[in-house]
Amino acid sequence: MTSSRHSVFGRTTILLLCGFFAAAVICPLISMLIHLGDADLPALLSDEGIRTATLHSLAVSLTAAVIAILLAFCAARCMTRTSVRFKGFFHVCLLTPMLIPSISHGMGLIILFGSNGILTRLFGMEKGIYGFPGIVVGSVLYAFPVAYIMISDILRYEDSTPYEAAAVLGIPKHRRFTAITAPYLKKPMISVVFTVFTLIVTDYGVPLMIGGMYKTLPVLMYEEVIGRQNFAKGSFFGLILLLPAVAAFLIDLFCKGDRRSGSVCRPFCPTRKQPRDTAALLVLILLSVCVVFPIVAFITLTFTKSYPTDMSLSLHHVLNTFRKGAGRYLLNSLTIALLTASVGTAVSFLCACFTARSRSRSTAFLHLMSILSLAVPGIVLGLSYVLFYSGSFLYGTLAILVLANTVHFFSSPYLMIYNSIGKLNPNLEGVAATLGIGRFRLVRDVILPQTATTLVEMFSYFFINSMMTISAVAFLSNITTKPISLMIPQFEAQMLLEASAFVSLLILAANLAMKGIVRLIRSLLSRKKPSAAPTTD
Amino acid sequence: MEILRTVSLSKRFDGRAALEDVSFSAERGEFLSILGPSGCGKTTLLRILIGLLPPDGGSVLLEGKEITHLPPDRRKMGIVFQNYALFENMTVRKNVEYAMRFRPSLRGEAGARADELLRQMGLTEHAGKYPSELSGGQQQRVAIARTLALNPEIVLFDEPMSALDVATRLSLRRELKELQRRFGTTMIYITHDQEEAFALSDRIMVMGEARIHQLDTPRGLLDRPADDYVRSFVLDNLKAKIDSLAAYMN
Ligand SMILES: Nc1ncnc2c1ncn2[C@@H]1O[C@H](COP(=O)(O)OP(=O)(O)OP(=O)(O)O)[C@@H](O)[C@H]1O
Ligand SMILES: [Mg+2]
Repeated sequence: MTSSRHSVFGRTTILLLCGFFAAAVICPLISMLIHLGDADLPALLSDEGIRTATLHSLAVSLTAAVIAILLAFCAARCMTRTSVRFKGFFHVCLLTPMLIPSISHGMGLIILFGSNGILTRLFGMEKGIYGFPGIVVGSVLYAFPVAYIMISDILRYEDSTPYEAAAVLGIPKHRRFTAITAPYLKKPMISVVFTVFTLIVTDYGVPLMIGGMYKTLPVLMYEEVIGRQNFAKGSFFGLILLLPAVAAFLIDLFCKGDRRSGSVCRPFCPTRKQPRDTAALLVLILLSVCVVFPIVAFITLTFTKSYPTDMSLSLHHVLNTFRKGAGRYLLNSLTIALLTASVGTAVSFLCACFTARSRSRSTAFLHLMSILSLAVPGIVLGLSYVLFYSGSFLYGTLAILVLANTVHFFSSPYLMIYNSIGKLNPNLEGVAATLGIGRFRLVRDVILPQTATTLVEMFSYFFINSMMTISAVAFLSNITTKPISLMIPQFEAQMLLEASAFVSLLILAANLAMKGIVRLIRSLLSRKKPSAAPTTD
Repeated sequence: MEILRTVSLSKRFDGRAALEDVSFSAERGEFLSILGPSGCGKTTLLRILIGLLPPDGGSVLLEGKEITHLPPDRRKMGIVFQNYALFENMTVRKNVEYAMRFRPSLRGEAGARADELLRQMGLTEHAGKYPSELSGGQQQRVAIARTLALNPEIVLFDEPMSALDVATRLSLRRELKELQRRFGTTMIYITHDQEEAFALSDRIMVMGEARIHQLDTPRGLLDRPADDYVRSFVLDNLKAKIDSLAAYMN
């Protein structure tokens, strides 16, 4: 690798990227820390409300994380270790909830279990599941697909040969678990636990919707900043929420260190086994129903005249939602999502072209910055942007929303492309240099075409998450730039549940469309070129 | 006639010497092997020769002119790596043709020249394929064709055969000698296979621990080993190979 001696193209790009991270990550976070100075720390630390909210947050997040991970583990085992049928179908069902915002999960629960909810009435319950149980159920729904996708990845890449050896040696089943499974799962599972916990503890979509008087930290922070414009206090909450995220980040860094690289010895190929496969089928059906049920509720609510009294088909709610401006906000969202996807994919690609191919102090800095965004919750990012950018020409434009989203969702797609580019032949730069092929041409003609499938995946990741997010954008958007996801809490506050449900469906539809396009492009790309390009799913 | 000379090259990594006072010269049109155990600095030397790595001290001269600080593409040298580093997204023909487009002197005839090289390497029928569709030996030949396309004075090889099976190695070996005769190119060839070095080389450089122990013809190494290291690393190993081969035959 040609270290330290970057070309002119390389040096300018690296400099620009460093500037990007300084303006988009470091300065805003520092300005948040500075605002902390205005806060009356002793008062905040002894504040009864904050202490309760912290306990609430911890209780909810721990409970929901444990449940979500256990369920996800069951689902992942059923999918990877049994030969249950319809795996493809179940996979889609279990992942679909990832395509709607967290706030929609809260909304779905209100529709189902709210004081006037479908199931509340069906079972003749006294009142809805507001508060603790509601937040837990909503958070489980929200975090389940993420846990599922992580755990099934871990299980899929587990080597089966130790188990075969153990079977040959006649080691009893429960011993195999303690001797082989547990040690293999330990580190990756720690990383899953922290990721899921962080996801839940920093989310305010679910508790805002269904929490009622049971306030968690992010909700409190939201009220302080949006409602009372109390930035000093907001910064304090931001700092607290930054802690678990930073811990998750560090632990993930530590746990990834010795994860086995790509060379799987032999994957599991389970044989048919009757009672087990049937049990797996039942588990998967049950989970899929639970997970997809809110979406069915959205559809029912949206397309009937007046649920539950008049069940006739009607487009009344759809038209009404558009009359209230949904079309304009959808357009805003699509614009933001497409711009974020373009900018994000381009920046992370450029970044990885240097960080994955050469080692120097500047590339190490870029790499750290790129994965650091994983540790900054959207709500914290939003607040820090308000503090740093308010008054500047960017404030109140779509551009700042694009910038915030790009940073917020940067690390996952960055790591995808980092791995893809890192897998390319280590001597490419050497060959290019001796053949007189410049760095820019190498990137354009060799690295870019070889990682095209990954780039498409990254684009869709940025797009989908930008369509769904409410955290950072809630702080940064105004009446003209508002994305459609923020219509969900707004309609809910106006008691227009049908409109909220329809908005959730619109977001789902846009994201499904993006998924479809990605599949199409991938199949086109793989038809064009026979070689097995490195792909990530 | 001398084409390449190095004067006391040295390179350290983290305080450890990878090369120490390495001086040698190569004759025009010769086949020079660099033979040594893993980690003795062979690759480091090659990367310094072609300009991918700056030396800490010493200099490199090509045809008497100092080139120590010239960029790699202005040294009239080409390199073939162990894992070929082909452009996976381009066809075989495009791989060979691509770099010529950026040389004004070659741009006009790039296509014709690529076809001619592919013919000479016996790759014409594979011209439209992608590298992933070729065998290791064929990929190797594409890498060589790509390097020869720019008309280098010297071609460097970094253990080009180590990923190939024995039969392919033997046939490629013959081809390599044939190519060298036809193009008259100077070749510097890294290997840690004693037998390969003896079969191919006009001269062999024996390296150990960051320095040159002896640079001589195969005959010279056999007749006058410079020290115990050369005797044990080259001759004993070679003898062991012949013995095991003999045992296998009986
Ligand atoms: N970029 C680098 N950074 C640090 N140390 C290095 C670097 N490149 C090589 N070295 C060290 O320098 C020494 C010589 O390495 P070199 O790659 O030249 O050996 P080699 O003779 O080519 O070995 P092999 O036969 O295994 O390829 C080794 O000890 C190696 O660890
Ligand atoms: Mg080497």
